[in-house]
Amino acid sequence: MQHVIEVVEHRGGQTRKVTFELATQARQLADKLGGTAHAVVLGNGAAQLAENLKTYPLDIVHVAEDPDVDLFLIDPTIDYVESVARATGPSVILLPNTMYGRDVASRLVARLDAGMAADVTAFEIESGRVACVAPKLGGVTITTCAFKDTEYGVVTARPNAFPAQSGGKGARVEQIAKPQSKPYVMRVENEVEEASGELGLEEAPVVVSGGRGLGGPEPFATLLKPLADALGGAVGASRAAADAGWVPYSLQIGQTGKTVSPNLYIAVGISGAIQHKVGMRSAGTIVAINKDASAPIAEFSDLVVVGDAFSIIPELTKLIEAEKG
Amino acid sequence: MKIVVTVKVVPDLTAPKSIDPATKRLVRTGMESQLNPYDEYALEAALQLKERLGGDTTVTLLSMIPETSKETLRKALAMGADEAVVLSDNALVGADVSVTARSLAAALKKIGYDLVICGGLSDDGSTGGVPGAIAEHLGVPALTNARHLEIESNAVKAQRETDTGYQVVSCPLPALVSVTMAVGEPRYASLKGIMGAKKKTLAVLSAADAGIDAKPKTELLRFAPPPARVKARVVEAADGPSGARAIFDFLRERKLV
Ligand SMILES: Cc1cc2nc3c(=O)[nH]c(=O)nc-3n(C[C@H](O)[C@H](O)[C@H](O)COP(=O)(O)OP(=O)(O)OC[C@H]3O[C@@H](n4cnc5c(N)ncnc54)[C@H](O)[C@@H]3O)c2cc1C
Ligand SMILES: Nc1ncnc2c1ncn2[C@@H]1O[C@H](COP(=O)(O)O)[C@@H](O)[C@H]1O
Repeated sequence: MQHVIEVVEHRGGQTRKVTFELATQARQLADKLGGTAHAVVLGNGAAQLAENLKTYPLDIVHVAEDPDVDLFLIDPTIDYVESVARATGPSVILLPNTMYGRDVASRLVARLDAGMAADVTAFEIESGRVACVAPKLGGVTITTCAFKDTEYGVVTARPNAFPAQSGGKGARVEQIAKPQSKPYVMRVENEVEEASGELGLEEAPVVVSGGRGLGGPEPFATLLKPLADALGGAVGASRAAADAGWVPYSLQIGQTGKTVSPNLYIAVGISGAIQHKVGMRSAGTIVAINKDASAPIAEFSDLVVVGDAFSIIPELTKLIEAEKG
Repeated sequence: MKIVVTVKVVPDLTAPKSIDPATKRLVRTGMESQLNPYDEYALEAALQLKERLGGDTTVTLLSMIPETSKETLRKALAMGADEAVVLSDNALVGADVSVTARSLAAALKKIGYDLVICGGLSDDGSTGGVPGAIAEHLGVPALTNARHLEIESNAVKAQRETDTGYQVVSCPLPALVSVTMAVGEPRYASLKGIMGAKKKTLAVLSAADAGIDAKPKTELLRFAPPPARVKARVVEAADGPSGARAIFDFLRERKLV
C-alpha cells in the first residue's frame, strides 16, 4: 500500500470538518508510505468543494459532478471510487466513521477485495504496513490491526480524532471519466429532513445530551438547546429519548447512533448504559448531571453533579452567558 | 418468498470480559452468549414482512458461528423464524469482515434467497461492514439503514435513515437490506413458539459445503486496555445555583469556558 485516497462526504458541496482531518491524515500517511495523497469528491457541488480542498496538502483531487451520484444510492459512488483506486494502485482508502462512510467502506471491502478497519483513532506504520488503532468490544480493549495479503485497506476514521491542518502547494484537480456500469437500480425517490442544522453533531466541540431523565421533548428545546448554544455546541440524546419520540434518531449517540469525541460532553439525565458509553467515552471531558449518584455514568465521568437537571441547567446557562458578556 | 436473516451470536457486552494474550481472542468460556441484539431487530423486520405477505413466505436464519454456539439460535427460532443454517468451520475461526462477508455470501448462494435482512452492527465485530460487502459479493442492491420496509410487486421500498432524516428508496428483488432499531422492538417468544422451536431444523454447513476459500485481509497485532480515567469528582448539589456553580467552576478550571 503506497497511496492514500480520501473519499469526501458532503451534501451539495457542504462538508464536515472530518474531511479536512482526513485530508491532513492522507498527506501524513502518504509521506510515511512514500506514496501520493488523493481525494475523491462526487456529486452535486463537487467541483466547488474540490476548489476548497486545494488549500489542503493533497496531490490530486479527483472530481465528478455527476447527478447520478445523488439520484441513486451509493452504487455510482462505488464505481467512481473503484476507478480511482484501480488507476492509483495499492492504497489506503480513508472515510469518516459515519453512516455514509460505513456504507461506502463496506461495499469497497468486497469490490476491491480489501481489508477493513472501523472507527479508527490512530495510525501506525510497521515495517511498511499500515496498522490501525481502534477501540473494540464496547471500549474494553484498544486493538491494533494491520492489513495483509491485499492491495487495498479501507478505513473508517473517527471524526475529531485527528488534527486538520491546511497548507500545501495546491492540489491538481482531475475529472474522473464516467465508469462503465450496469444501469443503476437503487433510486432515491424522496429526501425528508427531520433535524436540519444538526449535521455537525459528530464534530461539534461540545455536545449537550439528554436522556429519559428529561421526561419529554420540551426540555430538549427549552433547557439543552440554550445551554448548547451558549457553549457553541450541539444537542444529542440517548436512545431512550429517541425511542420515546422526543428527538429524531439522528440525534442519538451510542453504539447504534453516532460516535462523538467532543472536547466536552454533558450528559443530562442519562444513566450511561454501555451502548451509550461506546458512543461518547472518548470525549475530552465528561460532565454528568444525574439525580442518582450511583448511575453507571459516574464511572466514566470527570465531574458528576448529583441533583435535578431542571434546576441546574438554566442557572448554568446564565453563568456561561454572563461569562461571555 | 424466501427471507434470510443474518444473525450472529455474540458475548454479552455488559458482562465483564478478558482477552487471552496467547490467542489474542476473547475468552468466551463462562460468558453468556446471546443473539447479537441488533440482529433481533432484523429478525423482527423479517417476521413483520412474513405476517404482512403471508402465503409461502419463509424466514431462514443464517449464522456463521462456532457449532457450540448454535443452540443460542433456538431463541430466534422461538420468536418465529422457520429454520436455521449455521455456517461453522475451524477454517473460519478469527474471520475478519472480508472473510465473514465472503463466507456468508457463499452460503446465501447455496441456500437461496429473495431478500436478505441484516442487522446494522455486531456487538463484537462492530464494523458495520458485513452487510454491504455481502451484497456486493452477491451482486444485489444494498439498501442499508432501513427503518420501514415494504415489498410491492417484486421490489423493496424503504425509508432509509440518514444523518438528518430519511430517504425513500426503492430497488428490485433480490436485494439485501440492513435495518435500524426503529423497525420495532423485537417480539418475545410465546410458549408455543418455544415449544415449536425445539422441532425446527438447525442445519450445519461447513466451509467446504459452501465452497468457501477465504483468507483474512487484516491481522490483529496487539491489544491494550484503554487509558484509565481519573475517578470522577462528585458534587452533591443542594440546589440549582450551587450545582450550576460547581459545573461552571470545573469548566473554567479546564479552560472549557
Ligand atoms: C442493541 C442495542 C443498541 C443500543 N444502542 C444505544 C445507543 O446507540 N445509544 C443509547 O443511548 N442507548 C442505546 N441502547 C439503549 C441502552 O441500553 C439504554 O437503554 C439507554 O441508553 C438508556 O437511556 P437513558 O440513559 O436516557 O435512560 P435511563 O437508563 O432510564 O436513565 C435515565 C437517567 O436519568 C436520571 N434522571 C431522572 N430524572 C432526572 C432529573 N430530573 N435530573 C437529572 N437526572 C435525572 C436517572 O437517575 C437515570 O440515571 C441500546 C440498546 C440495545 C439493546
Ligand atoms: N458471523 C456472522 N454471522 C451472521 N451474520 C453476521 C456475522 N457477522 C456479521 N453479521 C451480520 O452483519 C451485521 C453487521 O455486523 P458487523 O459488520 O460485524 O458490524 C450484523 O448485524 C449481522 O446481521
